[in-house]
Amino acid sequence: MSRGLAADHGRGASRTHNNAGRGGRGGGAFRAQNNAGRGGRGGGAFRAQNIAGRGGRGGGAFRAQNIAGRGLGVRGRGRGGGRGGANGRGGMRGGNKAVIIPHRHEGVFIAKSKDDALVTKSMVPGDSVYNEKRISVQNEDGAKVEYRVWNPFRSKLGAAIQEGIDNIWIAPGARVLYLGAASGTSVSHVSDIVGPTGVVYAVEFSQRSGRDLVNMAKKRANVIPIIEDARHPSKYRMLVGMVDVIFSDVAQPDQARILALNAAYFLKTGGHFVLSIKANCIDSTLPAGKVYDSEVDRLRADLLKPAEMVTLDRFERDHACVVGSYRVPKKQKTAA
Amino acid sequence: MALYLLYETSSGYSLFLANGLDEIGQNTEAVRNSVSDLNRFGKVAQLTAFLPFESALDALNQCNSVSEGIMTDELRNFLELNLPKVKGGKKVKFSLGVAEPKIGSHIFEVTKIPCQSNEFVHELLRGVRLHFERFIKDLKSGDLEKAQLGLGHSYSRAKVKFNVNRVDNMVIQAIFLLDTLDKDVNSFAMRVREWYSWHFPELAKIVNDNYLYAKLAKFIDDKSKLSEDKLPELTDILGDEDKAKEVVEAAKASMGQDLSPIDLINVQQFAQRVMDLSEYRKKLHEYLITKMNDIAPNLASLIGEIVGARLISHAGSLTNLAKCPSSTLQILGAEKALFRALKTRGNTPKYGLIFHSSFIGRASARNKGRMARYLANKCSIASRIDCFSESGTTVFGEKLREQVEERLDFYDKGVAPRKNIDVMKAAIGSAENKDTAMETEEAPAVTPAKKSKKKKSKSDTAENGEAEDTEDKPVVNGVAAEDAKSEKKKKKEKRKLEQEPAVEKSNGTNGVDTDEQGGTAKKKKTKSKDQDRKELQDASDMKKKRKKSKSEE
Repeated sequence: MSRGLAADHGRGASRTHNNAGRGGRGGGAFRAQNNAGRGGRGGGAFRAQNIAGRGGRGGGAFRAQNIAGRGLGVRGRGRGGGRGGANGRGGMRGGNKAVIIPHRHEGVFIAKSKDDALVTKSMVPGDSVYNEKRISVQNEDGAKVEYRVWNPFRSKLGAAIQEGIDNIWIAPGARVLYLGAASGTSVSHVSDIVGPTGVVYAVEFSQRSGRDLVNMAKKRANVIPIIEDARHPSKYRMLVGMVDVIFSDVAQPDQARILALNAAYFLKTGGHFVLSIKANCIDSTLPAGKVYDSEVDRLRADLLKPAEMVTLDRFERDHACVVGSYRVPKKQKTAA
Repeated sequence: MALYLLYETSSGYSLFLANGLDEIGQNTEAVRNSVSDLNRFGKVAQLTAFLPFESALDALNQCNSVSEGIMTDELRNFLELNLPKVKGGKKVKFSLGVAEPKIGSHIFEVTKIPCQSNEFVHELLRGVRLHFERFIKDLKSGDLEKAQLGLGHSYSRAKVKFNVNRVDNMVIQAIFLLDTLDKDVNSFAMRVREWYSWHFPELAKIVNDNYLYAKLAKFIDDKSKLSEDKLPELTDILGDEDKAKEVVEAAKASMGQDLSPIDLINVQQFAQRVMDLSEYRKKLHEYLITKMNDIAPNLASLIGEIVGARLISHAGSLTNLAKCPSSTLQILGAEKALFRALKTRGNTPKYGLIFHSSFIGRASARNKGRMARYLANKCSIASRIDCFSESGTTVFGEKLREQVEERLDFYDKGVAPRKNIDVMKAAIGSAENKDTAMETEEAPAVTPAKKSKKKKSKSDTAENGEAEDTEDKPVVNGVAAEDAKSEKKKKKEKRKLEQEPAVEKSNGTNGVDTDEQGGTAKKKKTKSKDQDRKELQDASDMKKKRKKSKSEE
């Protein structure tokens, strides 16, 4: 598998900044070319390759790299230069050139340089939401595209993608209801993925985080901030339409009920949900595996049918992510 | 019996009529199946009325009422207009389906329209929500989303008390503009000098100030027309009679060329421009000062408006500045030197933008670094108070400023500064004095609280004496603030109740976090600071009380 990675690198040997061969295109044809190289080993293998590529360095190293990169958290405004290269444009380490290739999930990309990173295409170029690193590439027609690095240690969705979840259902043009939006760090990435044609309804109850969320939403027109308790979806029913996906990261003991209530109001039939479970928060006495199972059972009782689950062990302790669908129509047995 | 449906959206209220489904068999399964297909659902539910909201303000009011479950007058009118009349006494032949029982009961109370809110209604409403755009012909796709966006923002902003006046963007833009203006005014002034010197070169050497030069250039116009009778006006402009005489003398013996009237007019206009820009710069400066006092009064009173504004603009926003640690604040603006030093393992810079405040200049060379660190710490405190407190008092800024002055004195003369706890207590006291106009109530209220704490301290002196002290060392400032905030809580019963749980929680977590850090702190320092023990006991007891209450919860 590592040879496979090297092969990829070999293909993109001309790893210059203005790499027309790659660059942030993510078009259909391009993806096919990549996938052909990868698909040969099968979908599952592709997932494993991702892990190997990252796991090899270990969680600690990855974290350290991001912290170093964060610098002083200034937004690139400077008086008369004097920027010391902290927020370098290229790559994870300042000054590195990076190659952007599309990820299996639509709207998500991988930045390959000395280290790999999960990135999304920034809807607001030039702006960092939580002081994450940004990578600028120039594609063929000379336009600069900016990508923001997605930190899996700070975002459950990013962690789930890194752990190789099959389907996140959040794609360009999707309408997403995000429960537990906090300060909007993950929401910004979801907003990048769904793009200007999609909508993200971000619900957060806390006022402090809500303020940051509102500020973030000011710059992104596809994020609608809702500062309200997710336990009472009737309170914000005027603000939300029907959605395709619900992402829930509320960390409450009754989160299954919260998800079910919101789904009953807003999730379309055949829609999907992505739920992040924190075992300690549901029941701190039971072992994590049992907690996950009990949550899955609770979900089933409310017409939320779980399809897959990944544990986010590399990034958070005792966390898991469940993906499933809502009100799947029963398959009619074809009359013989 | 007809079933109507009330469906509220961001664009307005809508009323649907559900039929084609047997009421007795209110079969949710059947509804579910029909929902997915628009044609089938169109037969199940038809739009009977739609009332768009008149304005964004109206929409916000309606949204707030709907979230509370209260019926507004507009909703009432809409319902009474579009539903069949409810005649008192006769059995009502229809029913209104609503999403939530609370608003249903309110509607029934006021208008006697029977409401129901059950699973059946929910399923129907799901269908309506899914297909809503097709029902309303006037709404183009995307209109509803725009309405949701606008309404969501205004609803959320009201919830977080987003104060438009306290937006820090104005300050950031103003300081950028100030810098740009300075450069531009300077270039233009130089240009005026060059240009007018073609006509009257000696003036450039006599008058050094740019603004005065421009004024003079405009006034003198053609130097050949300058004579003694213009002297009083010249004196007015220059403020100095000798200079004025010099100017007149120089004009008589000048080497400069004559300019045609048109050329002179052009120079005049340009000189006028320069003067206007200069005056605008002054006004901008005043605007900046006012804005800084609005959004960050403590920071402004501590280090001055200009330096404060530069710090805010460098960090990106007031919130960013408040979030960054004080060591970052200390070297904000010296990043090039910082990273160069880090890469080459040299000495990192001691000050960045902070250097331009007056305190650093007044410190001796040996103590500049120490003052910079101390000042950065106090600036951090001030910026955090500004960012997160609701009131706009400058008390804390002034007290912090006094502390910095005292520290300067300490370095100069060895005068011991006041303890931080005392200063902070005084600051909070006077902040509350400003809030409540009842000064007499404050004094007796403060002393019983203090007395109760002192009693506790005596009983707790034996147990955990040492441990508490060491924990408190790194946390003295934080605990002092916590201390006072608990006092605040006792007094401020009526005011801002929602703030308190948040404050309480944040203080609790602060205490817990620093506990874990403080536990490993050095124990040697306890012996040298015996006189602090009592005050620290007070503080530690408040923390213990709070910890106890937290464990009870």
